[in-house]
Amino acid sequence: MRRQPPQWRIEMLLIHCPYCDEARAEIEFAYAGEAHIVRPPDPSLMSDEEWQRYLFIRSNPRGRHHERWRHIHGCGRFFNAVRDTATDKFEATYKAGEPRR
Amino acid sequence: MSEALVRTDPVSGLDFVSEGVRLSLAGPMARFSLRARQPEVLEQLLGFKLPRQIGAIQAGAACLGPDEWLLRAPAGTKLSLGSGLPVAITEVSERSVCLIVEGPRAAEVLAAGCPLDLDRFTAGRATRTVFETVEIVLLRTGDNRFEVEVWRSFAPWFRTALETAAGQLR
Repeated sequence: MRRQPPQWRIEMLLIHCPYCDEARAEIEFAYAGEAHIVRPPDPSLMSDEEWQRYLFIRSNPRGRHHERWRHIHGCGRFFNAVRDTATDKFEATYKAGEPRR
Repeated sequence: MSEALVRTDPVSGLDFVSEGVRLSLAGPMARFSLRARQPEVLEQLLGFKLPRQIGAIQAGAACLGPDEWLLRAPAGTKLSLGSGLPVAITEVSERSVCLIVEGPRAAEVLAAGCPLDLDRFTAGRATRTVFETVEIVLLRTGDNRFEVEVWRSFAPWFRTALETAAGQLR
């Protein structure tokens, strides 16, 4: 007879890795900041203010947020996710390089 | 200077046996970390096919990521390192030790610290994952048999954790 899984297994947050194509436990992943922030091709042409905005200023919304995650204890890949910052629900995950959803 | 090199393992080579589960230490083996964006180049160099699906094992090579494989081979195996080719072959034989967890309750013991859904992780699959907070590579080599690659320095803790979990099965 199988034992009931402990409570933390039931309440575990699962994240779908688009490379492994599998829902895996959050503990295998690392958060890696806001997604779709493009590095300026020539930083020397930018003013200090623009450069500061690129480096430090993030949208920090309440609600839908595009963010990078890394399946660090799995396939090792970075991917993008849409997560609701209020409910912590993942709406979608997709491979790096794919258009914003 | 010493003439003979003595092999020491970080954990006991004695088997641990509990109800429905046996823990043992696998013997020494050669391990290689293979990386390549184009698997064909690696295959040509190695002379055998690599699995393309993440989680699959084929010819001793486990596909851990879209461009990463862990090759496990008999101890002493040498590989050409493919210099000049767009591949990275690194010998990591002594990076980890392999603990074998087998028996009808092996999955239950591993589930004590591994968040994978082991019912869906069928025989013949392999993946990198975690046990509590320690990174492991888990290979399911049979319905009731798992091989766990764990880094050497984590092995004593890992073995103690498995023995504790096995002792607490009800």
